[in-house]
Order: sequence, then structure tokens, then C-alpha cells
Amino acid sequence: MLRPLKFIGALGVMLFVAMMVCAEQRFPPPDFESGYRIPSASTPAARQPWLQYADAGVLLAALGVAVWLIYKKRSRRGLYWLSLFSLAYFGFYRKGCVCPIGSPQNIVYGLFNPDYAVPVTVLVFCFAPIVVALFAGRAFCAGVCPQGALQDFMLVKPVAVPLWLEHALSVIPYLFLGAGLIFAGTGTGFVICRYDPFVPFFRLSGGMFILTAGAVFLLAGMFVGRPYCRFLCPYGGLLRLASLASKWRVRVTPEACTQCRLCELSCPFGAMRQPAPAGPDPEWLGAERKRLGWLLALLPVLVVAGAWAGSKLSPAAAQLDPAVALAERYTRQQTHPVQYGLMTPEALSLQRAAANPAEILAAAAGLRRRFDLACALFGGWIGLVIGLKLVALSVRQNRTDYEPDRGACVACARCFTACPNERVRLGLMPAAEGAAPL
Amino acid sequence: MRAKPPVDAPVTRRQFLRNGARLMTMTGLGVAAGALAPRSTGAGWVWQIDPARCLHCGNCATQCVLEQSAVKCVHAYAVCGYCQLCTGFFNPEPNALTTAAENQLCPTSAIQRTYIEDPYYQYSIDEKLCIGCAKCVEGCERFGNGSLFLQIRHDRCLNCNECAIARSCPGAAFRRVPVDHPYLLKTTSR
Amino acid sequence: MKPQFDLFDRRQFFGVVTKTAALLGLAGGAEARGQTTANPFAYDISRFQKTDPKLIAYQEVTRWPLPHKEARRLAFGPDDQLYVCAGNYINCLSRAGGRGLELALAGPACCVAAARDGSIFAGLRDHIEVFDSKGGQVARWPSPDAKTWLTGLAADEKNVFAADAGKLVVLRYDRSGKILGRIGRKDAERSVPGFIVPSPFLDVIIHRDGLLRVNNPGRHRVEAYTFEGDLEAAWGKPSAAIEGFCGCCNPIAIAQLADGRVVTCEKGLPRVKIYSAAGEFESVVAGPESFPENARACTDLNDCVHGGIDAAVDSEGQIYILDIVAADVRVMKPKG
Repeated sequence: MLRPLKFIGALGVMLFVAMMVCAEQRFPPPDFESGYRIPSASTPAARQPWLQYADAGVLLAALGVAVWLIYKKRSRRGLYWLSLFSLAYFGFYRKGCVCPIGSPQNIVYGLFNPDYAVPVTVLVFCFAPIVVALFAGRAFCAGVCPQGALQDFMLVKPVAVPLWLEHALSVIPYLFLGAGLIFAGTGTGFVICRYDPFVPFFRLSGGMFILTAGAVFLLAGMFVGRPYCRFLCPYGGLLRLASLASKWRVRVTPEACTQCRLCELSCPFGAMRQPAPAGPDPEWLGAERKRLGWLLALLPVLVVAGAWAGSKLSPAAAQLDPAVALAERYTRQQTHPVQYGLMTPEALSLQRAAANPAEILAAAAGLRRRFDLACALFGGWIGLVIGLKLVALSVRQNRTDYEPDRGACVACARCFTACPNERVRLGLMPAAEGAAPL
Repeated sequence: MRAKPPVDAPVTRRQFLRNGARLMTMTGLGVAAGALAPRSTGAGWVWQIDPARCLHCGNCATQCVLEQSAVKCVHAYAVCGYCQLCTGFFNPEPNALTTAAENQLCPTSAIQRTYIEDPYYQYSIDEKLCIGCAKCVEGCERFGNGSLFLQIRHDRCLNCNECAIARSCPGAAFRRVPVDHPYLLKTTSR
Repeated sequence: MKPQFDLFDRRQFFGVVTKTAALLGLAGGAEARGQTTANPFAYDISRFQKTDPKLIAYQEVTRWPLPHKEARRLAFGPDDQLYVCAGNYINCLSRAGGRGLELALAGPACCVAAARDGSIFAGLRDHIEVFDSKGGQVARWPSPDAKTWLTGLAADEKNVFAADAGKLVVLRYDRSGKILGRIGRKDAERSVPGFIVPSPFLDVIIHRDGLLRVNNPGRHRVEAYTFEGDLEAAWGKPSAAIEGFCGCCNPIAIAQLADGRVVTCEKGLPRVKIYSAAGEFESVVAGPESFPENARACTDLNDCVHGGIDAAVDSEGQIYILDIVAADVRVMKPKG
């Protein structure tokens, strides 16, 4: 009973003595005779946690208002003011961070890195707009997203993007999403946040590259409606998929469609779809079915080929991870030494690596294995996306009226007042003589 | 011309598929939320520098997304030796031990040197002038007690989801800390 | 309806895209390039870490390791025996490092001095013990104060001077252990500014001209005191350059050559230099490039404070440098 206690006591004394010996050479705290009292460092507090919850609350409220404005009130004006509020609150006040666009990265990072716990507010930011999209379409894009609002306000003279280009570019958001998620999963970084072109404007400062990119997007947005939303936003890609399964859809008018095509011209984002001819054309049905069959059979091939190609990308992708890059630099330094400037980050990180090379190299090897898997998944995902896009292009839509595409429509409500029937319903226009009864 | 379908019409195949997809997605989101939410403290995270891992490379001054970096030098007065020749304040070859700019290490003259009593002087940081370059931190750690160190100041930091300085830190010194304990202060020399 | 192309045609569109890509590429490249060239905030002391070869007047003869770890001081006895304080032991070694007498002490051996009559004065942290030339303990003098930290000893026929880094004073003992006086204490009337000793390295020697020499590390100078405590002279300036004393507190040790020139030791930028008796810089015995372990402790472990060197001079003018970090002694002799 006593022996372990004695041992612990002896250990404690040894530790104390060791500490005293180490402390032997530290500069002792001065003995002040003049009554000077040693101050303590100031610690200004971070933003209060309750304010984070308030942000989530504002998000939910704004989503609710957006849904109400689109479906009940059907007011473009209301959405305009809501998006202005969102730009001010989520954009310039909160500086665009944390935002739903980047939040899937936090989710994936939290799933694959046990030492990071996703805050509840980030969960709300990520899931709430998706849940809303599952029921009411892309209400988030219309009235709540500050990036979308900024692009919307920049729109001066919309130009239609040719359909082939629109379809081709619409694959990019999924590529960006895949890349963002694999880099988040491996713990490399949040590339979606890194390459958000509008957040530097919200912060009113940024690097040369990202500010230039942001300016390019804003200038392009004067003519091409919402270029980031349609062709780059990864969260937009998720919302697009969610909207395809939405319970309610944005209707140009609750009344009947007179096929006048005025709404098609009014949509600056190319989201309006034409009615498909009634019934399949018997001449082409066989060929169309055959093509669809081939594309469906091609799908798994594309996935596998994509996975293979993706795994080839793994060494290059792994380089973006700072731990892997350091291990590479250290290994290269042994055979081809480079003289880095005094106390530059490269020189200092090499010194740190030289202190414990085995640990650095082992960590990098582990990360490379993770990247192999992640890049294969990414490649397979790209294959899947391209395959599904091709399938989607070959699937016939059964549409009799002009209506917005479920996935592409950002619910901006511009088309409402373009429809003459809607104007009549709202009382903005008297019913035309001889018009068909509503 | 087609009117809205009546409410009690049979569910079409497309509608069925949509409902199914919606249900599956909601379930998936619920599972993900259920997996992640219990771990979450709710308080959230902010970024902070671990002074033990900082290598004083100068990136904090240049990599922050803000024009004037949110990283500032902080002084652990209890660790300081109050030396007349502070190697964090004076450059290696001072002409005299005075506060003349030519003798100072700090590029923006952000350290205030105040006489207390012989031979002790107090050194404090003026945060309006400090750019977070770590020159004084290096001088203090090398030849002194190491009482000067860099910290992210949370009245300035935007708490970006991905900290631009963290990404480029050669010492991997940045980590997320709980928002209610947002500082990693130095209490001893090493 | 055919989509409108009225703003761009396909060729113009691609032209715009490539120009934008080029612009972005340029901006990105400019940003990336700026990072690896140099650190504008680097704390650059590299020019002090190399000594001008024209200033180095000594060369190494031999080097041998110490019998114990945690060495602190070394001193020569009257017959060129070398006494080294390491751990809890004082070892008497020959000039070639051969082991002789070993005194085991009850606590850490901090400093040592040997008088002409063979008495060995062993400075433990807070008191002095006296031994005869055979190693038998003769006396144990009481500790003058709880905060006493002895780091230097010097002895002549009548006096023993103990440098107390804890109480910032040099104690003057007589041979029986009675304290005759306290030298160097802050005293405005006698114009004695007092010692500043941030790290425990206070050293004292009895100079040939009859005055004491004591290093004042916090004021970066060597001071000359009478045995009664009057400050007669002081020389030295703070600077990382070779003529001055670097860091916050140097020199940490002093010794004297036969002609009265003073040998100084510094840590941080570890160097051993020679000054004239009047305090003018003359030459370098060994520069920072000669102490790689000390330098490594400084750069890699960021622990310049833990370094340290001590020096002693034998009857032939060879300088023995004790490297605390490397735990060895090297013998230097004048070049040419």
C-alpha cells in the first residue's frame, strides 16, 4: 500500500526538482520596489454564441418569408426587398460567412475528422435551404443568398446563353462540389470558401486574384444572369437536385397557360422550358429508346472509367494538402537542396520537418492513401454526373405548358408579371375582349 | 391548355418517384444531422494560434484576408524579464538604448517602452500599430524569456470558415478553439 | 425561338474567355510568386553568426569530454590543475583532461576557486565549502541569505570573493569564512549602479592590477571594483556586433591573461573574445561558428538562454573553453 505512494512521492519530488533545474536559467520575475503591479493581457471576446443562433433564426425566417412571397403573395417586389435585406445582413454584416454554400464542406469534414464537431448553426445553414428546396424549390437562391442577390442586382441587360453551352457548363457545379467535398474530407481545406468570388467584396478586402475573379463575375453578371449560381455554385447544384423532387413548383401563373411565350423572354436565367410535342414521334421513338438504352448502359462504364481516371489525379490533388506538400519538399530537399530565404515559411517548415522527419512522412503517406480513395470517388462522381446529364438530355419531358424548369428556376418571380393571365388575375390588366374564359 | 389536375387524381409515376426521392433525402439529412449533432457543443469554434508551434514566419501579417491582419502581438507580462535591453524591442545593433526608431526592431514602432524603476522597463503593444509580423516575438524568444507571442484578436477576426493564414502556416500552429475560450495564452517561457 | 446572340458571337465569346483566363492566371501567378522570395520581417542575425577570420587570433589544440553532465564553471589552480564544476562534483583534471581528485558535493557544484596554498573553495548554490588539497572537507561556511545563488569564485591569500547572482552582490570573505564586505550593491552615494543579472551568470576575478573585475551582464559591461567596493572603471557596450556584448545579458564569464588582458564569454551568440586591460576590443578566441550545439540550442530549440560557455587561462597562456551544452573542454592557443 505504502510503496506505490512512496514511488509517486519520489516521482513528484524528482519532477519538481527537474522543473526547478529547468527554471534555473529562466529570467526571474523582477522584484518591483515601486509598487508596480504586473498587468495581464487583454482578451477581447469573440462574437457571442447567441448571435450565431440569431443568424440561424434569421435564415429560417428569411426562408419562410421567401416561400410565402413566391407561393402565396407571388410578389417580385417583395422578393426584391427580401434579397436586398439578405445582401445587407448575410452579405455585408456577416461578411458572407458562414454561408450555406460552403457548409457541405463542414459536414463532410465533420464526418471524416472526429476532432471537429460541426456547430449546430452550421447544420441549420446547410440543411434548412435543402429541406425548403425539397418542398418549395430554390426559394433560398431567390431571396436569401447574398451572392445571388448581388448578381441579381448587377443584371442590366440579360443575354441568353446558347443551350449547348448552358448544358455543358451546368456540369461544373457538380465538379466543384465534388472537389470541395474531397478536399474537406481529407482535411486539406475548404476550396469552395477559398474560391468564392463575392465574399471579398463583402469583406471589402482580399487578394489580387480573388478580387479580379469577383470583378469578372460581377461584370459578366451584368449580361449573363447569375453566372455563379448557374455555372459554378456547388450548393446550387445540390439545390437543383433537391428541387427536382420538390413538392410544389414555381408556376408562372396558377391560371391556364395561353402559350404566348412572354414568360420565356422574361426569364434572364434561361430556366423557362417549352412544351414538348404531344406524344412521342413514332418515327423517332425506336431510335430515342435505343439511345437512352445505350446511355443507361454507358453509365456504369463512365463511373468506373471516371474512378480510374480520378485515382490517377490523386498525386496531384494530394499536393494541395500542406502536410503532403511539406513531406514532398522535405524529400526533394534531401536530393536537390534549394536555398530558401532566411525565415521564409518554406525554410521554417523544412526546419520543422527536419526535427521529426518520420512523423511528417508517415502523416503524408496516410494522407496520400486517403487521397487515393477520395480521388477515385471524385472521378466516379464526375462519371456519374456526366452520365446522368446525358441521360437527362435524352429523357423526354411531358410538358404541355411553358413552365420553369424545376431545377434551374431560382424562383426570382420575374416571370409572374410577364404573364398576361397573371396580370389579369392580379388586377393589373383588364381581361381582353374575346379572350378565352379563365 | 390544361387546367390544374384535380386534387384526388391518382398519383403519377413521376410524382411517386419525387415523393420517394424527397423522403430518402430527408432521411439522409436526418441521419447526417443525427450523426453530427450530438458531438456538437453548440458554442461553435474560432481560430487561434498555438504559441508553442508558431515559427514567427511573418505570414500572419500578409496572409489575413483583412487589410490589417487580425493577428496581433500579445505580451505575457508575468513571463517578461522587464530587461533594460529587451531583445524583442531593440534591434541587434542599437546605437543607444533609447526609443529612437533606428534602435527599434518593430517595423511600425508598436511597442511602447516605459520606465518603471531601475533597471526595469515595461514593454506593451499598441494594437493599432501592430501588424502581427512576429519580428519582436522572434527576438524575444531567441534571446529572452519569450513573453511576446502572436494571437488572433477576436474583436478583429472575421472567423472565416477556412482561415487564410492557417492554410499557409509553416508550423501548423492554427487550430480551432471553443468560442468561450478563444485564447491560447502563454503562461511560461517555453 | 432561336436564342439571341446579339452581344457576342461565338468567336468573340471565346476571345473574351481566354483573355479573362489569362488575366486571372497573371493575377494568381503574381500572388503565388511573391511568397517564396524573402521574408521582409525576418529577424536576421546571420551576419553576426560568422566571424571575420582576420579577427580570430586563436586555434584549437585539442578537445576532450567532461566526466559529468551539467557542467557550469572551470578554474585553474596554482599548479595548472584544472577544476571543473559539473553536476554535483568538482573534478581536478590535468591540462590534458586526465582525471585526478574528485570531490562529491551534497548539492550542485556551481563555481570553484583554488588558492595558492592548495585550499579548494567549492561554491554550491547557496554556500561555500572549503576542502584541502587532498579532498578532505575543512569547513562549511554558512549561507549568507536564502536567495543566494553563487556563480563565481575567486581567491587570493587573504580573501575569497563570491559572486552572488541571486542577491546581486559580490561577497568578500576572509579565509575563516567571515563576511568582510559586500561589493557592487546598488548605492547612489558611492555611484555604484548595481548589478543587473537576469540569468544566473555573475563572475568575479582578481585582476593583476589589484582590482576586482566583475561582469555586469544586464548593463553589458565589465566593472572594476576595489576590495572595499568602490567602482573604479567600467567598459563595454551592448551590441550584437563583434565589439559589443550581445543579447540581453552578456558577458557571462571573464578570465584574464598573464598580461592583464581580459577574456570574455557570451551566450546567445556564443563567443569568446579578448579585450585589452582598458577595455578595447582586440581579437576573437572562438566565434559563434565554433559552437554549433550552443547555436543549435539557440535556433532549433529557441533556447538561447540555456547555452553557456566559461573560460580559464593556464600558465602558458592557453585558453580553456568549457562548452556547457556540448559538455566538453577545448584548448585554444594563439595562432602563429
